[in-house]
Amino acid sequence: MATTDSDSATASQRLDKDTREKLITVVRHTILLTWSFIVLFPLYWLASMSLKPPGTANSLPPDWIFLPTVYNYIQLIQDSGFVAAFANSLIMVSASVVLVLLIGVPAAYVLSRYDIPMERDVLVWILSSRMLPPIAVVLPFFIIFRELNLFDTRIGMVLMYVSINLSLVVWVMKAFFDGIPETLEEAARVDGATQFQGFRKVVLPAAKPGIFSVAIISFIFAWIELLFGLVLTSFEAVPVTLFVYSFIGSRSIEWGMLAAASTAMIVPVVIFLIAVNKYLAAGLSFGVVIKE
Amino acid sequence: MSTPTQTETTPKSTFARLRDLWNDYLPYWFMAPMVAVMVMITFFPGAYDLYLSLIAEPTLDVFAADFVGLRNFESAFTRGGAIHSFVITITVVASALLLETVLGFVLAALVAGVGSDRAKSFYRVLFIIPMAVAPVSLATIGRIMLNSEIGIIPYVINTGTPFAAPNFLSEVPLLTVILLDAWNWTPFMFIIFYAGLSSVPKTLIEASRVDGAPMWRRYVHVIIPYMKPVVFVATLIRLIDLFRTFGVVYGLTGGGPGTATQLVSINIYEQMFINNQITVAAAIAIVYLVLVVALCNVIIAKVGFEGVWD
Repeated sequence: MATTDSDSATASQRLDKDTREKLITVVRHTILLTWSFIVLFPLYWLASMSLKPPGTANSLPPDWIFLPTVYNYIQLIQDSGFVAAFANSLIMVSASVVLVLLIGVPAAYVLSRYDIPMERDVLVWILSSRMLPPIAVVLPFFIIFRELNLFDTRIGMVLMYVSINLSLVVWVMKAFFDGIPETLEEAARVDGATQFQGFRKVVLPAAKPGIFSVAIISFIFAWIELLFGLVLTSFEAVPVTLFVYSFIGSRSIEWGMLAAASTAMIVPVVIFLIAVNKYLAAGLSFGVVIKE
Repeated sequence: MSTPTQTETTPKSTFARLRDLWNDYLPYWFMAPMVAVMVMITFFPGAYDLYLSLIAEPTLDVFAADFVGLRNFESAFTRGGAIHSFVITITVVASALLLETVLGFVLAALVAGVGSDRAKSFYRVLFIIPMAVAPVSLATIGRIMLNSEIGIIPYVINTGTPFAAPNFLSEVPLLTVILLDAWNWTPFMFIIFYAGLSSVPKTLIEASRVDGAPMWRRYVHVIIPYMKPVVFVATLIRLIDLFRTFGVVYGLTGGGPGTATQLVSINIYEQMFINNQITVAAAIAIVYLVLVVALCNVIIAKVGFEGVWD
């Protein structure tokens, strides 16, 4: 490499630095806005379809401008199947989140604070529950649930939802507890608190953001689950995902109502996601990536 | 407290003894429910799948079943289309994982470089939204937007471009599934990579900037090596979850047309509920389970969680 060449190159680069940076900014935002469009357009389309008057939902060329109507939503609320499925999902998923926290958070505390023999293997074993394909898990439970009269019950579904999220809760909460200094509890114990009181009154409040975010992420993973509902319910405990699926399966699809049902399913979760967006990376990476 | 003399003279009450038992063995009480549930959801299904895969048909008394050796495996892998479904699954998992990792990283790097903080958090919040869409709702969206008669996307391609739109659901179903999954879960990679990028020490970036290294070399030589553990964890978790894929494909194509998108999970489901061959389904399930768990454990053992864990 000739020195003069590289010298002149850096000189011209320096000259153009401003324009180059402007160009980079323009390209950067063009790409990011394109992706924003890709993200938003399907959701906009779904929502607009749910607000179109019946019969015009899927006309082409599309009616870009239309008078929004809540007709489809009223139809949906009057559909007892949808209301029951939505309520089922709310109850079953919320109950599973409470249960998975009750089971997982104390265990995570022990894993964080005590020297467990083969701790690493225990943690990988816990993670391995997530590796089991749900279809392989649900097959034995399909047989057992029928013998235990848990088939098509909310309790059965709650147990299955717990099985999806337990590994997540243990891993994320262990990481959160690791980040809380032990001196906090030691101070409480010097004041005469028992170990349990130290956990309940000192550690748990400090771990609140972690518990909150892992609860919401668990809620989402259970809320979007289809397979367990498909295999383990038939009528009583049908979750909302299965209701939407059975809608798709029916011969003459009412597109407007289908879009309304899907929108109703998505909106609460969007709000939840935005509420925990700061802790999402920690939660979704099983607590491995903590910094934000 | 109110009657201290009494407690001194009488032996400890049952309640107090229970409380001592609770406090003395606290770690055990804390661990026991988790371990019990874990045993129930890991060892039990694995063992039961294995048992089912070796018998002729399930009987009320588990010991009364006829063991038939590997016959179920034979029919699964010769007539049941199991091999085909494994190929389809590997194709979907590998392509989606690659696409989501690359897209997620590029988007995270682009957002991390945005100058204004408000624009940054705007993109960060916006880009996570697709994760709120349940796979079955995504299938709904796909069916609405990609339908060759009423879909907006084929319509725009046909009228706005010189190309003719393919029938997404019957001509290129596998590609459609991969793209839909990428829309759904690239945000997962994005948000973890973004957090990882923001934890790269400023001094490290400054040092490389002083060297006058161009941006792409900064990424290749400084940032990506630093990010390796984060990339590893994100891809591992996404890999695990990709093997769980069911809803989006089942809602979109139901495994079809024919068996073009028949993932292993759909194949097992059909063997079980359409062909009523629960033992054949169990044979495929146990193979799938062992392969996935083995693959993930080999990856964990090989790469380890060094640098991110403990």
